[in-house]
Amino acid sequence: MNRLDEPLFSFRRPHSSARSTRPPGAFRLGIVSSVIVIGAAVFIWLMLLGPLGALFAHLSGHAIRQTLGAPGGLSPMWTSLEAAMVALTAIVLLGTPLAWLLAQGRLPFARVIEVGLLIPLLMPPLVIGLLLIYFMGPSTPIGGFLNHLHLTATNTFFALVIALIYESAPYYILGAQAAFSSVDPQLEENAALLGDSWPRVFRRITLPMAAPGLALALAIAWARAMGAFGAVVIIAYHPYGLPMAIWVTLQEQGVGAALPYAFLLLIVALPLPVLAYLWSARARAKVTGTSRVRTLNVPLPDQASLA
Amino acid sequence: MASASPALATSTPTTHAPQSGTANVAYAGSLLTVNEQTVGPGFEHATGYSYTGRGAESLAITQEIIAGTIQPGVFESVGAAPIKPLIPKYTTWYASFAASPIVVAYNPSGPYAATFKAIAKGNEPITKLFPLMAKSGFRLGRTDPNTDPQGRAFVLMLTLAEQKLGVPVSTVNSILGSDAVGASPQIYAETSLLAHLEAGQLDAASAYRSQAIQQHLPFVTLPASINLGSPSDASAYKKATLTLANGMKVEGGALVLTITTIGGPGAPTGSDLQADQAFVAFVLSPQGRALYQKNGYTLLPVKLTGSASSVPAVIKKELPH
Repeated sequence: MNRLDEPLFSFRRPHSSARSTRPPGAFRLGIVSSVIVIGAAVFIWLMLLGPLGALFAHLSGHAIRQTLGAPGGLSPMWTSLEAAMVALTAIVLLGTPLAWLLAQGRLPFARVIEVGLLIPLLMPPLVIGLLLIYFMGPSTPIGGFLNHLHLTATNTFFALVIALIYESAPYYILGAQAAFSSVDPQLEENAALLGDSWPRVFRRITLPMAAPGLALALAIAWARAMGAFGAVVIIAYHPYGLPMAIWVTLQEQGVGAALPYAFLLLIVALPLPVLAYLWSARARAKVTGTSRVRTLNVPLPDQASLA
Repeated sequence: MASASPALATSTPTTHAPQSGTANVAYAGSLLTVNEQTVGPGFEHATGYSYTGRGAESLAITQEIIAGTIQPGVFESVGAAPIKPLIPKYTTWYASFAASPIVVAYNPSGPYAATFKAIAKGNEPITKLFPLMAKSGFRLGRTDPNTDPQGRAFVLMLTLAEQKLGVPVSTVNSILGSDAVGASPQIYAETSLLAHLEAGQLDAASAYRSQAIQQHLPFVTLPASINLGSPSDASAYKKATLTLANGMKVEGGALVLTITTIGGPGAPTGSDLQADQAFVAFVLSPQGRALYQKNGYTLLPVKLTGSASSVPAVIKKELPH
């Protein structure tokens, strides 16, 4: 029941409310801050999407049919998808253990290792490509070793995969490290105290808890790999993936003919990150909503009595 | 209007008071070193105007000008082919002033270095070059014929070698591999090709003579009859043709440095326009051309093609009368 002297709805905050203990002027400041925050958010979102608007404004159905309908017009898409999948598989298999060890704080010189991961992020991809020539070119010791395996790290599908790994692996590993770090160590310790071996703790506790963050890290690495260009143009001119197809078509036939490939890149590269985001958001809500309750239900042995 | 830059006509190396205009020059990627390190600063020093340059594959610049994504005031390309699609909307004339022959740059520490050196010195005949490059396991680098004039020139040069030097077709086919214009592992981006050679990862690569000289790479000079660097052989060059991946047929022509001003929609005006015209005049002046010669280009008499009446007065002074 409302008091009779208080209006049911009011544009002014009721002075008598228990929550209105803020100083005078704070309310106006709150509105101004909200406007600034919302304004900044809307502005940056629209600015970031601006190029997408330009893409659709300049894309014609005729150009799409002509570019993508030409013989072999879709082969850059398959090349990109295949190379990104191989690269991401390698990154997940090799990067996840590193991310987990870093998050556990079990590695000596962990900071040095982290800085090592930042270096490929910091370097312009073009420079990475140039340095890869010296590092993995056919006349280098690594190139000689690869040659024994009938592999070449320039202008081959393998070279493309290598370039994608360099451009996207740090994003996955650093993201996965953050995901593993966000898992409450208490839960892992409790499971270990209950007698679970570490692989079982990893499988039953760590991995499911970190999964939403891992999915996001994977989505970002995927987007990087699909769009990778700088290192690719140096060490893997052929076979063309989508970014190279955009570049070559731009030079050969102009912007109009190149845009359909940019459109195709969006169509094939976007669903996976979007799904990962949606799933991650749902899973996060579940994890934060239920995990604490579950830990309360676990009958924990008294640590002092175990000792 | 032309009073801003009469000093250009003379080749006295005097420094001029800073002028407000900026020459905005788009040029073939192979001109990057000479333009950024020598001609650009030389122009600023001689005229007082500012210079800003942008290097890219010539045909890509043509496409970007047509699409309106760049609006340079000057376009300097290798060969006239990239300028021709811009006539008459963006320009009605162009001037050629130097040649840029194709050479074969080689790896001085590679397994074939000794033979290359002997051919370069003339101790072995030039005809030995072709079977050498056709050897299995030989690592050749070249640029994309579909997007880059140098890539086309290298393939056309081999066709001319067939026609003029009697190199067997089978040898040429072995040199280029299975696919001359398609997805060949020999093809690198123009910007990185010589980096692969410098890193010792290739045995040889196509190059303009100027690039090889500027980057201190050893190279084999090719005869004028096949190197696309001699305008007097232009009619013979035409007999070499190449069909690109998109079905377009291109024919050989002399690789001459060609320059023009770019007008049309969004073209510079006022002092920037004067700076653009002053840049072209500087390039065509004896002082400017000497800078190109120093960087490995072969000087040619300045030659105008197109509408002489629309050439700005300040540039006209540098043209033959």
